[in-house]
Amino acid sequence: MFGYWDALYFLYAFLIGLIISYLLMKWAEKVSTGTRRTGDGAKIYISGEDQDKVIPHFEHLRGYFTGRHVMWGLIRGAHRMFLVFKREHTGLLTDYVAYLLVTIAIVLGVLIIGG
Amino acid sequence: MMLPFLIIIPLFGAFSMPIVSLLGKKIKEYWAAIISGVTFVVSARVFYTVWKTNEIILYTLGSDSPVGRGVKFPIRIVWEVDLFGALLALTIAFVSFLAVIYSLGYMKHDTGLEKYYTLILVLEVGMLGIVITGDIFNFYVFLEIMSIASYALVAFRNDTWEGIEAGIKYMFVGSLASSFILLGIALLYGQYGTLTMSYLAIKIAENPTLVAKLALAFFIGGLLFKSGAVPVHMWLADAHPAAPSSISAMLSGLVIKAGGIYAIARIVFGIFNPGLHAYLRAFNAPAVNMNVVGWIIVFFACLTLLVGNAMAVVQTDMKRLFAFSSVGQIGYILLGIGIGTLAYGTKAGELGLAGAIYHIVNHALIKALLFLVAGAVIHQVGTKNLNELSGLAKRMPLTTFSFVIGAAAIIGLPPLNGFASKWIIYESSAMYNPILAAIAVVGTVFSLAAYTRVLFTFLGRESDTVKEAKDPEKSMMLPVLTLVVIIIVMGLLPWQISDKIMIPTARMLEQLNGEYIMALLKFIGGA
Repeated sequence: MFGYWDALYFLYAFLIGLIISYLLMKWAEKVSTGTRRTGDGAKIYISGEDQDKVIPHFEHLRGYFTGRHVMWGLIRGAHRMFLVFKREHTGLLTDYVAYLLVTIAIVLGVLIIGG
Repeated sequence: MMLPFLIIIPLFGAFSMPIVSLLGKKIKEYWAAIISGVTFVVSARVFYTVWKTNEIILYTLGSDSPVGRGVKFPIRIVWEVDLFGALLALTIAFVSFLAVIYSLGYMKHDTGLEKYYTLILVLEVGMLGIVITGDIFNFYVFLEIMSIASYALVAFRNDTWEGIEAGIKYMFVGSLASSFILLGIALLYGQYGTLTMSYLAIKIAENPTLVAKLALAFFIGGLLFKSGAVPVHMWLADAHPAAPSSISAMLSGLVIKAGGIYAIARIVFGIFNPGLHAYLRAFNAPAVNMNVVGWIIVFFACLTLLVGNAMAVVQTDMKRLFAFSSVGQIGYILLGIGIGTLAYGTKAGELGLAGAIYHIVNHALIKALLFLVAGAVIHQVGTKNLNELSGLAKRMPLTTFSFVIGAAAIIGLPPLNGFASKWIIYESSAMYNPILAAIAVVGTVFSLAAYTRVLFTFLGRESDTVKEAKDPEKSMMLPVLTLVVIIIVMGLLPWQISDKIMIPTARMLEQLNGEYIMALLKFIGGA
């Protein structure tokens, strides 16, 4: 069993991760692989060619800096996931029942085939 | 023999409540507090007995022996309490007692309180019955007692549509899930002709038919619903926030554990023992493939801990956030049980089970604390919308402090009790399959995000709605602070509790030497 204070390893890993990501960011800025610093009120460019395009839903990110595609994709992906979560469920009784039946059907199927 | 009093006392309390309430205005509150207090003492006594002797208590209703006259197999209802059942009974009695004390102040302005306290005690009877019974139909009866009391309690405040709607939906779908469980019981009884769990275990091992597998599937499906696992968690997110906060604390802290998780563990390890079936498979004899069962549980566990915790992040209603967080935590417990099934008989399996049991107890305490804090906020401010609760820390410092302790514990920060149990679950999953551990840690990241948001709201700039707020009265703060102290103290002794209580409990549930079955066989002479 691990020791009580071994949880500190999480902290070490986090700090090392932080330092590595900072160094990566500095390097990326220097060699300009799409990461650039923009001034106050400047727009974020998702590509060098289309300078007017602001990231949809991320207009508030102006003045910060971002990568060209990867960062955009990651943030947008996470944002969309939470948008889906926010819609939650329909609240319809029939849906609740349907989910229950589907779950039991899955368990039943798996157990009959593999059990 | 103290065991029967665990049921008799709260049942007597519940049925005498309407008469007792005629005696005076405040008597019903005190009566409920006395009854639940005495039940707690009895449960502590039962737990101590089982823990000290490390032996399973077997009690037959209405007779000395479970074996019927003229037959050689058990036909009477037996109550069979091992350390797992006793530990849960203790937790149930303790949290119920605190919920009743909290209700003294919290429900002061409500009417129909004799019904409320009757239902609370009936709910307690149902849960206690589930964790002590050794008879599968008796289990169903207690499950229904518990469920019906919770349907009514969810809809107790019928001045808003929220409670009524949530209660009705919970009742309809909950009854359907119960019907599946009943169908499973009927199938087993039809096939094997017995309802005693330990005897069923022997009969199923002798002849594991397709019917047994069908029954197991119905049990798992129905009980996943009762424990609020994804994708059948929706009722929970509606019902738990709609109930009065003292009831939410019991629903989230206890009901989903006793009526869902405990039952899954008992059926998987008591009736379909993985060790027994692995042994049979080793000799190419027909057996249930318990690895498949383990993976089913792990699959739903991972889904539950990711979706539950992630859904908590986007909530603006404080109680709904806590409810989704409960869904997430159920995921961890299921993960521990799943690993206990998959890695049966190994160190990882034992740790997984011990972690799951530890987290059941810890989560019951932590979630009770958080819901009681939410109740205090609603009681004082009148809203549970996080957007309106900014700056509460200054006006309700003690409540905010309690929240911080609860939130830190549920995220799993050392040195609080949630850390130890989550750590053991991470550890066992890392030992079995590192990907499972990674999924578990991702779930915790979501959990951290959700609770940090609430904390920032409480510590933020003061809004107009909280200007008049202050910490609630003593009867409400007492249970809250009791839970805070217990969470901190348990957090300071993590490995002692694990080694002295949780690991022996896991071993007894695992029953590597068939202890649960042997306790019955002693009576019927089949050993």
